[in-house]
Amino acid sequence: MTGDKSKILQGTLDLMVLKTLEAMGPLHGYGIARRIEQISEEALQINQGTIYASLVRLIQKRWISGTWSTSDNNRKAKFYSITKAGRKQLHTEAQNWERISTVIGRVLRIAERG
Amino acid sequence: MLAWITALASRTRAWLSAQRADQEFENELEIHLEMLTEENIRRGMTPEEARRAARIRLGGHTQLKETNRELQGLPMLETFLQDARYAFRMLRKNPGFTAVAVLTLALGIGANTAIFSVVHAVLLKPLPYGNPDQLYNVFQAKPQEGVGGTGWSYANFTELREQNRVFSEMAGSQQHQLTLTGRGEPAVVNTSVVTPELFSLFGEKPLAGRAFFPEDGKPGAPPVVILSENLWRSSFGADPNTIGSAINLDKRSFTVVGIMPVAFRFPLLTKSEQLWIPLVQDPLFGGWMERRGGHWLQVTGRVKPGVSMTQVRAELDAFAARFAKEFPAENDGWTIRMVPLQQMIVGRVRSALLVLLGAVGLVLLIACANIANLLLTRATSRAREIAVRTTLGAGRTRIVRQLLSETAVLGLLGGVTGIVLAYWGVQALGSLLPENLPRVNAIRVDRYVLAFALLLSAIASCAFGLAPAWFAANSNLQSSLREGGGRSGESRNRRRARSFLAAGEIALAMVLLVAAGLLLRSFSKLMSVSPGFEAQHVVKADISLPRFRYSTPQQWAAFSDEFLTRIQAQPGLQDSAVAVPRPIADGFINLGFDIVGDPPLSAGTSRTANYVSVSVNYFHVMGIPLLSGRLIDRRDVFSSSRVTLISKTMARLYFPNQDPLGKQLSFAFPPDSGAPREIVGIVGDVRDVALGQDPGPMMYVPYAQAPFWGANMVVKSTLSPPSVASAIRQEVQKIDKDLPVTDVATMPELIDASVAQARFRTMLLGLFAAMAMVLAALGIFGVISYSVSCRTNEIGIRVALGASRSSILRMILRETLALALAGMALGVPCALAASRLVGHMLFGVSASDPATLAAVTFALAAVVTLSGYVPAHRAMRVDPMVALRHE
Repeated sequence: MTGDKSKILQGTLDLMVLKTLEAMGPLHGYGIARRIEQISEEALQINQGTIYASLVRLIQKRWISGTWSTSDNNRKAKFYSITKAGRKQLHTEAQNWERISTVIGRVLRIAERG
Repeated sequence: MLAWITALASRTRAWLSAQRADQEFENELEIHLEMLTEENIRRGMTPEEARRAARIRLGGHTQLKETNRELQGLPMLETFLQDARYAFRMLRKNPGFTAVAVLTLALGIGANTAIFSVVHAVLLKPLPYGNPDQLYNVFQAKPQEGVGGTGWSYANFTELREQNRVFSEMAGSQQHQLTLTGRGEPAVVNTSVVTPELFSLFGEKPLAGRAFFPEDGKPGAPPVVILSENLWRSSFGADPNTIGSAINLDKRSFTVVGIMPVAFRFPLLTKSEQLWIPLVQDPLFGGWMERRGGHWLQVTGRVKPGVSMTQVRAELDAFAARFAKEFPAENDGWTIRMVPLQQMIVGRVRSALLVLLGAVGLVLLIACANIANLLLTRATSRAREIAVRTTLGAGRTRIVRQLLSETAVLGLLGGVTGIVLAYWGVQALGSLLPENLPRVNAIRVDRYVLAFALLLSAIASCAFGLAPAWFAANSNLQSSLREGGGRSGESRNRRRARSFLAAGEIALAMVLLVAAGLLLRSFSKLMSVSPGFEAQHVVKADISLPRFRYSTPQQWAAFSDEFLTRIQAQPGLQDSAVAVPRPIADGFINLGFDIVGDPPLSAGTSRTANYVSVSVNYFHVMGIPLLSGRLIDRRDVFSSSRVTLISKTMARLYFPNQDPLGKQLSFAFPPDSGAPREIVGIVGDVRDVALGQDPGPMMYVPYAQAPFWGANMVVKSTLSPPSVASAIRQEVQKIDKDLPVTDVATMPELIDASVAQARFRTMLLGLFAAMAMVLAALGIFGVISYSVSCRTNEIGIRVALGASRSSILRMILRETLALALAGMALGVPCALAASRLVGHMLFGVSASDPATLAAVTFALAAVVTLSGYVPAHRAMRVDPMVALRHE
C-alpha cells in the first residue's frame, strides 16, 4: 500500500461496488466493472482487474457474498450479491459521502466566491 | 475489531485452501476476459485485436493473481515460509558452514540448557510444599561471638510457638539415624525427630493412617512412628497391615500410625527412605527437652498471610529481648533471625551455580560471535546477490527480513540440536553432580527448561543475525554491483566488525580461562594439602548401639572396650580404634571451655575448640604425631583422673609463651560436665572440618572417660575394605546379632567425597573454558583465513615484486597477534573483575593470582598464534601467477 491516495480510491471503489450490487442485484465481475464505467459515463476508466481486489475485501468483511452460477448466455460465472450487513454499511457510507461532499462543495464554493 | 477478526478468519481459510482459491480466481479472470473480448468483437475488432485489448483493459494477469493471493492469504506468514524455505535451500547449499554454525550453536545452547536445568531445579523451582514462599527457617544467633545460625532449645521454641502472633504454625525438627530391627538384617534409617505440628505446617496429608496428634508430643505418650512411603515399600513390602503394627527402633517398640506419600519430603534428603518420630520419644534429643540452654532444634515457621516482614522481625526481636530478660544465663546476647526456607536449603550452592551459569552464558556468547563472523563472511560474498535483489525492487526491510529468517532457521536448528544435547548433558551431569547438592533429584529437562532453550536460541539468533543483516541492508548498492561480488570488496566497516568480534571472543575466552585456571590451581592445592592424618589404608565403619538398651555411659564404654578387644584380636585388624567425631567423615563438635585457674574472660569473648573422644590406639591408626607429653593409654579409664590432649594450634592459640602440659581444662559436655581435665600431651594439627579449612584448636579426651553410644571405627589395614567390613561384621554379630555395621568407606574416598562440589565446579568451569578457547581459536582461524583469501591478489603482487615468503608469513602473523593483543587488552581487566566472583571458592590462591594470569595469557597467545599460523602458512605458499590470475 503506497500512501493515502490509493486508500481513498480503494474505499471509493468499494462503495461503488456495493452501490452497484444494491441497485442491480447479483452481478459477475465483468458486469460490475461495466456498470461502474457506464454510470460514471466512462469518466472512470479503471483497470477492470482492480475490481477483484475490491470484491475480495468486501467478501472478507462479509458485506457481499459470491456464488458460482450460470449467466444469461449460458456461461458459468461467479455472481456477487450484497448482504444485509453490506446494505447497512452502504447506507452509513453513503450518508457519510453525502455529508462530506456537501461540506467540501460548500467550502469550495466559499473559497471560489472569496 | 470484529471485522478484522472475520477478515483474518477468511484469510486463514483461503490460505489453507490456497490452491483451490487460486484456480477459482484464474477461472473468474478467464471468464472476465472472454466477456471483454466478446464485447470488443461486437465493437468491430478482429478476434486477436479484441483479445489483446481485453487483456490491457483487465490489467496484468500475473500481477492481479499476486494481489489476489496477497489479499486472500496471510502475507506475513507466507513471506516467512518462503524466506524459511529459501533459507533452508541456502543452508543446504553450504553444508560445511551450516554444520559448523549449527554445531557451535547447539553446543552453546545445550550446555546452557543443561546448566539451567540444574539452576532451575535447585534454585528456582519452588520447594515441594504448599505456599512455599511463606515458609521460613527461624534460627538463633549470637553475632558478637560470631555464632551464626544455630537451633533452639525446646523450651524457647515452645514459648515462641505458643505465644507469637505472626506465624500461623511452627514446628521443630532434628535429624539423625536409628536402628530398625526385627525385619531381617538390622538397618539404619534416617530419622526426623519432630514436634507433632510438622505435618500440618507443611499442609501434607498422610497416604494412610494419620499424622501426629499434639498428644503424641507430650511426655508419657505411647511411642508412635510415621513411615515414608518408600521406606514402607522397601522394608515393609507395602504391607497394608503395617499401620497399627509395632516396629523396633534402637530396641524400643514404636507403633506405626501413618505413612506419608512419596511426594512429601522433609528434610529434602537424597534418599527418600525415612521415618518421623515425636521429639519426646527420641533416645537422644528427647532427653534435652527440659533444658532452657542448648541450641539444637531446627525451627521452621509459616508466616501468616498479610503479615509484613517488618512485623515479623519486630515480633522476633521482642521475643529475643524477653528470653534474655527472663532467662539471662541461657539467652543473654542471643538474637532471633529468619531466612526463607528455600534459601536455607540451597544457599551454599547458589553462588557456585550462578557462576557456572554465567560461565556457560559466556560460552554461548563466544559461539554467537563466531557465527556472526561466519555470517559476515558469507554476507560479503553474497553482496552481489543482495544487490541484485535490491535492484529488482526488494525493499531494505524485505532484505533484512530474509536474512533474519535465515538466521532464525539457523537458530532453530541449533536450538533443537542443543536440546537433544541438553538431554544427554543432563544425564551426564546426573552422574557428575555431588551427592550432597540439595534437591538434586528434581533436575530434569522439563517444559520450563525447554522454554528457556527455545528463548535462548531466539535471542542467540538475534545476537548473531543482526550485525550481518544490518551491514547487508546498508551496503552500497552500486559498489557491490560494480565489484562483481568479488571477495576483495569487503568494506572497511565490515572488516572492523569482524576483527572486533574476534577480539571480543578472545577477551571472553580469557575471562573463562582465568576463572577456570584459578579454580584448577585452587583444587590442586586442595588435593595436595595434608589433612594432618594419614588417610591411606584407613577404613571407617559405624556400629550404632540401640540407645534404649545401652543407655548409660558405662554400658557404652563397656561395649566399645569389649568390641575393640575382639576386633584387635583379628588378623589384620590390630590397628583399630574408635573416635567420635572422626575428621572429615563426621563433622565436628565445637565446645566452649575454661582454663582452670585463669581469670574469667571479659564479656563477649569465649574460648572454643573442637572436641573429639578417642580410644587408645587412635593416634597410631591415624598417624597423628605426638609433639610433647604423652598419648592416651590404658591407664586412662572411667575411674581414673580426667586427662585431655590438645592440638598444636590450641597450644599456640590459648597458651602462648607457656607450657600447656599440666594445666587443666573444663567444659560443659556430658557425661562428666565441668570436671577439670589435665592436659597431658600435645598432638599435631588435623583438618577435621574440611580440607580447605585451616586446622582449628582441638582437644582429645579418652573414649573410656567420655564414651558415646555406638562405635565409630577407624581401622588401618592392608586388607581390602570389604574384607575389613565383613571381619568387623562377624565380630559384632557375636556380641549382639541386632547391631548393624554401616557406612563402611575408606578415608581417601571420604576425603574425595568432601571435595566433590569443588571438583564438580572446577571440572565444569574447566570444560567451559576449554570450549571457549576452541571456539575462540576457530573464530581467529576463520577471520585470518578469510583475510588471507581476500588478500590473495595483494600477496601475489607482493611476492611478484620480491617480498620473501617469510615476510608474508610475518605479515599475516602480525595481523593475528594484533587481534590477540587487542583481545587480551580487553580481556585482562574483565578477567580480573570476573575472578572476584570466584574468589570465595578459592583455596590457597588469590583471585588476582599473577601466575594464573600469566599462564593463561601465554597459553591463549600460543593458541591464537597457532590458529593464525595455518592460514598464514597458506598465504606464504601463494603462487604469484595463480594469485594474479585469481578473479
